[in-house]
Amino acid sequence: MPLETEARAEIRSLISDLKPDDGKLLDALHRVQHRYGYLSDEALEVIAEHLKMFPSHVYGAASFYDEYRFDPPAATTVRWCSGPACRLENSNGIRDAMLAVFKLKELGDRTDDNQVEIINGQCNGACELAPLIWIEKQIEHKRDVVGKLSVARAIELARTISNGEYVEEGNETAF
Amino acid sequence: MANMLRKETKLHSEILNIENSYTSIKENADLAYREWCNPIRPRIDVAIDTSSMANGALEIKRELIKLVTERNAALDVSQNHGYGMQWLNPLVTITWPDGTSIVYGPVKLGNITDIIDEAIDRSGAALHLGIGLLSGEHSSLINLREHPFFKNEPDERRLIKRIGFTNPDSIEHYIGTRGWSSFARILYRGMTPDDVRQELLDGGLGGRGGGGFPAGMKWNFLAGASDSEHYMVCNADEGDPGAWVNRVILEGDPHLLIEGMAIAAYATGSQRGFIYIRDEYPLGVERVKNAIKQAEEKGLLGNNILGSQFSFQLEVVRGAGSYVCGEETGLLSSIQGQRGQPRIRPPFPAQAGVFMKPSNVNNVETFSHVPLVLQNGSSWYKEYGTEAMRGTRLFSFSGDIPYTGFMELPFGTPMKDVLESCGNINPGEKLVAIQSGGPLGSLVPASALPTLTLENASFVPYDAMMGSGGIVWVSDRTHLIILNEYISDFVEEESCGRCTTCHGGNQRMTEIFRRIMAGNGRREDEFNLKMIDDTLQHSNCVHGQFSPKPMRNLLQHFRHEYDALVVDRKDSTLTIPAMTQFRVTNTADRRIEDAVAICPVNAFKGEVGNRSIDDEACIRCGACTEIAPNAVVREARADISQSII
Repeated sequence: MPLETEARAEIRSLISDLKPDDGKLLDALHRVQHRYGYLSDEALEVIAEHLKMFPSHVYGAASFYDEYRFDPPAATTVRWCSGPACRLENSNGIRDAMLAVFKLKELGDRTDDNQVEIINGQCNGACELAPLIWIEKQIEHKRDVVGKLSVARAIELARTISNGEYVEEGNETAF
Repeated sequence: MANMLRKETKLHSEILNIENSYTSIKENADLAYREWCNPIRPRIDVAIDTSSMANGALEIKRELIKLVTERNAALDVSQNHGYGMQWLNPLVTITWPDGTSIVYGPVKLGNITDIIDEAIDRSGAALHLGIGLLSGEHSSLINLREHPFFKNEPDERRLIKRIGFTNPDSIEHYIGTRGWSSFARILYRGMTPDDVRQELLDGGLGGRGGGGFPAGMKWNFLAGASDSEHYMVCNADEGDPGAWVNRVILEGDPHLLIEGMAIAAYATGSQRGFIYIRDEYPLGVERVKNAIKQAEEKGLLGNNILGSQFSFQLEVVRGAGSYVCGEETGLLSSIQGQRGQPRIRPPFPAQAGVFMKPSNVNNVETFSHVPLVLQNGSSWYKEYGTEAMRGTRLFSFSGDIPYTGFMELPFGTPMKDVLESCGNINPGEKLVAIQSGGPLGSLVPASALPTLTLENASFVPYDAMMGSGGIVWVSDRTHLIILNEYISDFVEEESCGRCTTCHGGNQRMTEIFRRIMAGNGRREDEFNLKMIDDTLQHSNCVHGQFSPKPMRNLLQHFRHEYDALVVDRKDSTLTIPAMTQFRVTNTADRRIEDAVAICPVNAFKGEVGNRSIDDEACIRCGACTEIAPNAVVREARADISQSII
């Protein structure tokens, strides 16, 4: 067993009540990511050890799911809703314009200074607000919804986010 | 003989104990619910659900509590779930001691004083926000049952009868409205698992996941499975974009789902259950977990339920953003901590499911119907719906309509009536297509509307399916291929990767759509798309097999749009980037400099007063036309090749 560092002990304490072979891997990954914002190599190792799995299995499974991440999140995450009701309201234009403001190529990219990333979001049925985006501070578990966007407003928002001047102006929601 | 007698007596006393335990729980709950309906002092409930929160409900609730405290008003503040009119969110309900209950919306921060005044003195301060009554009477407000949005619903709601009327976080409210009574009755009447399954079969409950397979028969497979360790699994991984009907149950009446699962577990000899909820529904996860905890505290879940021999452990598994986990065997793999890849069948879940033990997977709505069917019987269940599809189900409606929301509708309801209650297509636009069944569903042409009903059979002639409850109305404002490109890209991204037919096929399909959208459609594209369709049929699971449907529908029903795009290179909607261009039409317009300022790529060239757009730089996002509609125009691209290669 690798040396038990302080960090490893803390990770272990998050999942100490979970048993091996009991359908608990997703839960373990969620808990650790919730605490640290991402899954480090060390975290994957501790989870594997605790659930009596190979680290390769843990990484193999975790990497299947869009919501698990293996790098620390950017300071701000823009989650662009890709749903059908949004598409009918020119959400593609909003996506392209925001990417242009952030000078990023495609969804999933982040700025070099780690300030902003823009990712693909899935419809959760607040379609009366289409087109919408979520603006998230992953570490602080804050999620704002900004709906009924125009492209112009999305650009303005993206600019304030880029400048680090964004203050929550949307509506908070569960995270 | 003496032994048998003793056993009988023991059984009898056990059953009596069960009945007594339930009765005492119920008495307390009834009292609590009576107080909820006729509170000692007026109560303001803010609807807290995913949609309301996105509209600012949490802030409204916080401000309400703050102001009520500041004013030291004799009021309480609590929560319920939105009634279905999502375009009027955030919703607030006031209930007075006489039982009158009125829903208001949209309630903004500026309306909070009005709401509080209204709750205190009923002087009409918030009447301008009044939508309708949940109960009681009012001289100028209708009962919500008479609201035009709900005109196609049954006279009384069934599956979602508690929505708006209870606090979803209160098991007392659930029990106080006949909740957990179907389950308790099974135990204190000493019904055997066989009896329960038979009653459900007689009730005729069909699965609501889309397949419609009788739930009772599915349970028979599990009950008959050899291994003694059985699992009951709920598929709450509602991933179809544009469908949020399961969310309504998870967030609005989680106890109903749990009771249904407990009954299913009893009927199939399952000791453990999982509810797999998609990651995008954090409130659903929270509410269902809370409902499980409350049920455990009341002795309705866990070991020796209500003092009987029956034990059932239920837990929530939170997904992590994978659409294909909604396929039942993908879901089973995911629960087990594997990649969420659908399995190859056989073995079927009833033989080898979770942990390769016999399991049964049903949809949220199927489980939630179980207590109702057992409580009210089959003739009640069959009052609505059609011969082929009995009962009612939840539907969510979005797209190019003014009224977005959800309704509980009988199967067979005419779609034209539904569209009418959604407020028809937005003014000045025309219905082009109905997107049903999510990305693995269909694009039904507008011409089908007169004969289309909410029954799968009416979709079949269009090579289409009704799907699991999400309906998106599409007008002529947006070119359909934008949806096709979205759908094929989505299916490819969400493909588990096992079958090359699926992930490769949808990749090719997306590439073809993108090339067509770039103005480079080819004559052979149709042939290639059809070949991809044929290939996709050889995929292992429905994700691959159903994925070409929307593309097939495009070729079948929207020939004109497709040909115009591929052959004539024309996009009459002016929504496809590469087929359009932006041009300054009035260099003197007073808003033009605002348009220049908003452009994210600095595509405007020339001096002030002499602006034009650099077509190379322009990304066609449309921001400039929003800002300066009289100065910049979006038009068909002039230099696009007019003939097919």
